[in-house]
Amino acid sequence: MSIPLLELRNITKVFRIGGGLGLFSTRTIKAVDSVSFTMPADKPVIVALVGESGSGKTTIARMILGLLKPTSGDILYRGRSVSQWLKENRLEYYKEVQPIFQDPYSIYNPFYRIDRVLKMTIRKFKLASSEQEAEKMIVEAMREVGLRPEDLLGRYPHQLSGGERQRFMLVRILLIKPRLIVADEPVSMIDVSLRAIFLDHLLSLRDKLGTSCLYITHDLNTASYVADSIIVLCHGRVVEDGSANEVISDPLHPYTKLLLTSLPVPDPRQRWGEEIDLSTLETFEKIKAEKGCVFHARCPYATDECRERAPPLIEAKPGRRVACFLYTS
Amino acid sequence: MKSLLQVKDLKVYYKSIWGDFKSVDGVTFEVYENEVFGIAGESGCGKSSLVDGILRLVAPPGYIAGGEVIFEGVDLLKIPEKELRRIRWTKLAYIPQGAMNSLNPVIRIEEQIIDAILDHKQMSKRKSRQLALSALKSVGLPVEVMQMYPHELSGGMKQRVIIAMAIALKPRLVVADEPTTALDVVIQRGILQLLRRLKEDYGMTVIMVSHDMAAHAQVADRIAIMYAGKIVEIGFVYDVFEDPLHPYTKGLISAIPSIGRKYVKGIPGLPPSPLNWPAGCRFHPRCTYATDVCRSVEPPMREVSPGHFVSCHLYGEKA
Amino acid sequence: MKFKVEASGLRDKLSSFLATAKGSKRFVTGLMLLFVIAGLAVFEPVINAVRLGGRKPVEIGLFERGLPPSLEHPLGTDMLGRDVLALVLVGLRYSLMVGMMAGGIATIIGMVIGISSSYLGGRIDVVLNSITNGILILPTLPLLMAIVAYVRMDMLLVSLTLAVFTWPWSARTIRAQVLSLKERPYIMLAKVTNLSDLEIVFKELLVGLIPYIVASFSFSVIGTIMAETALRMIGLGPAEIPTLGFLLGWAMTYGALAQGFYTLVLAPAVLLVLIFVALNLVNTGLDEVFNPRLKKITGL
Repeated sequence: MSIPLLELRNITKVFRIGGGLGLFSTRTIKAVDSVSFTMPADKPVIVALVGESGSGKTTIARMILGLLKPTSGDILYRGRSVSQWLKENRLEYYKEVQPIFQDPYSIYNPFYRIDRVLKMTIRKFKLASSEQEAEKMIVEAMREVGLRPEDLLGRYPHQLSGGERQRFMLVRILLIKPRLIVADEPVSMIDVSLRAIFLDHLLSLRDKLGTSCLYITHDLNTASYVADSIIVLCHGRVVEDGSANEVISDPLHPYTKLLLTSLPVPDPRQRWGEEIDLSTLETFEKIKAEKGCVFHARCPYATDECRERAPPLIEAKPGRRVACFLYTS
Repeated sequence: MKSLLQVKDLKVYYKSIWGDFKSVDGVTFEVYENEVFGIAGESGCGKSSLVDGILRLVAPPGYIAGGEVIFEGVDLLKIPEKELRRIRWTKLAYIPQGAMNSLNPVIRIEEQIIDAILDHKQMSKRKSRQLALSALKSVGLPVEVMQMYPHELSGGMKQRVIIAMAIALKPRLVVADEPTTALDVVIQRGILQLLRRLKEDYGMTVIMVSHDMAAHAQVADRIAIMYAGKIVEIGFVYDVFEDPLHPYTKGLISAIPSIGRKYVKGIPGLPPSPLNWPAGCRFHPRCTYATDVCRSVEPPMREVSPGHFVSCHLYGEKA
Repeated sequence: MKFKVEASGLRDKLSSFLATAKGSKRFVTGLMLLFVIAGLAVFEPVINAVRLGGRKPVEIGLFERGLPPSLEHPLGTDMLGRDVLALVLVGLRYSLMVGMMAGGIATIIGMVIGISSSYLGGRIDVVLNSITNGILILPTLPLLMAIVAYVRMDMLLVSLTLAVFTWPWSARTIRAQVLSLKERPYIMLAKVTNLSDLEIVFKELLVGLIPYIVASFSFSVIGTIMAETALRMIGLGPAEIPTLGFLLGWAMTYGALAQGFYTLVLAPAVLLVLIFVALNLVNTGLDEVFNPRLKKITGL
């Protein structure tokens, strides 16, 4: 059994909220609750981590990137815990694990030109031995992503369009050539018509450079376009996972089904059937109950058992896990 | 179908040291009563400037360089400010992009809605409170929301508060600019369905501006495709999706990643700059069907089939 | 083809900032006023040397006592025969020196504490923040009075003492801004590019703090000059440092107004007000430059 590229073991993250800068209060939020999954090392894959806001997906991304420490559990990259990597081999870790963030504007320091991001990257990771070499690398990488160096270099972030800014992040990735990209909603803030172009680059990174990607999103449309496998997250817990094709064509968990039916299909002949009852969509009390299944408040199949105990994540079919009492017998 | 809004040759330009940005450069269309009219296009095509122009919200360095916006027989661009204020909110409501983030964080929801109501129509505080309550109910929010502060609400709830504020005085026309950005997919569906209910249950007319063609497919009755400051195609949504005429429309539709679509293709090239629109048909640099006439002559808008208009030389005069 | 890959755009930011700043009448007026005031203070020794023929302005009996304003003595002379204009210029110089030193120290302390507190977060933030708020609550004036009355002061000590009570304001402003900046994705990107915390603070955060640092400095200067003036009016503070406040205090003690030595009281007061006005104009002007929407509201 080979060591997985990335392994999350029972990762939990609890935030304290409230007065005294959070240090004197007892109110807590469990953003991530016992999440476990792996990404293999033997072949490059794109794994989609799917969930709405409040599902904990961004928290997980930050923990993998070392920007946040888990409350309990372990994150292992190539067999070593992330905290160990950061303590002993910080530079090497970041050479292999890099992010793509959501907002194409705020990933740039507005006071500086955009080239600075690239120059800093080259300098810090010692990717080039001279300024000429650095420039050559930048120009090549830009052309590969389909951006024109003549037009963009030397500009400030606000002078580029959102799509260009987001694609510029791909230039940075191409320079570093990481093994694992943690992409947090990389296309949700660019036009729908530009998303496929961006996602194609993720696919080519996987196929040509062998780069794996943890693709975090709430949109199953784009997830289905790029992902090899899908993990569905609801209020901090994994509720379903499996290969992308199977999860989409045969969703098991009611939440997955809800996500799928809520997708807008670009065909007026296939409009949403029933109306979503808006008043059931959100309530003020944390919808996630302290006990019971995370989804019971919104689930059409909820039983008393669902309200009392949290269903375990079990393998309902080969290669497919689901956390729902509908599948325990 | 009775016409509610006619936009005729509207031009919205922005002054700059390099010249004028012709963001909206001669746009003409009509919106009928009780329909959901979608305006689709990528970022930078001018849709938000178009909305600013229609609602007369263009601020310097922008200016209205020409055209008419006839609403209920009155040209909104020419009436005095006082009359415009009377029409705003009571007959014509606007939900700007990202409005949910501009709720005042230190004022309770109830007060914000009431303020918006009283700003545009005189009435007793009690009556305004009633209107606020019924508006909240029609967007599916419980009465407790009245006493809450914006930060206590989720994104979807805040957007619904904004919609409630817009419809509180039961306007005839609601203009929503990118109403679902930054919202989760399940909430997006809720908001889109809500906008459709405004038409079906409350008889309102809705203009929805969005770059998301799938959203239009689900919700709109008719749709206008905007490119480079002009409208290139208008038609009933079934016709436009089933049989897209303009090459740009075809490109837009096939660029949407969607489950079950194996072949998704983007549109090559980059959108042009409003400082320097291409000559002739503005799409010609990116169009696979471009011919010489496309490069020099701007195609007029022609009705190719009933209710389906397109501005493209591929659909020339029938012999 | 060689592309110029510029790493820092600060020079261009500065030139574009100056271009925009020219549009704010407040900023320009304030800045010009500041230049005039500073110019007077800087050239005071020269001016006074020329006018008084090398004698010190504080020398008693230089001229006739109690002369009304004239060409030779634009502000007249005081009851000890000293030229009032010369005195006032000396006072201006010392006031500005104390103000800038104290304001500078206060701003630096405020920056260090504000940035460390919010950037490092956690318990450090709680502790530092409590200290900051604690000093803000303290009754500054009585404490200042106590310290100044009992401790022999020189310029540096005076500045330090004043700064100690003024830095919390800078710390709070800067802390608030850092709190908002540090969650920005570009800071996170810097972290995963293996930049150290110090590098992040100096290279990424500081740029975004410049308007707040300038504002803190202005407010600190105003605050410290005001505090110093207040102390002088009670008669506290070293006499070897003849600031405008000292002049005012001394004049009031000797009943200048009652005796008709109006310029002796008016001149320092007006100059103090002008300093505050100039600094305030620069501050609000800067605000307008960085928040252009304010311009419309303020009507300028």
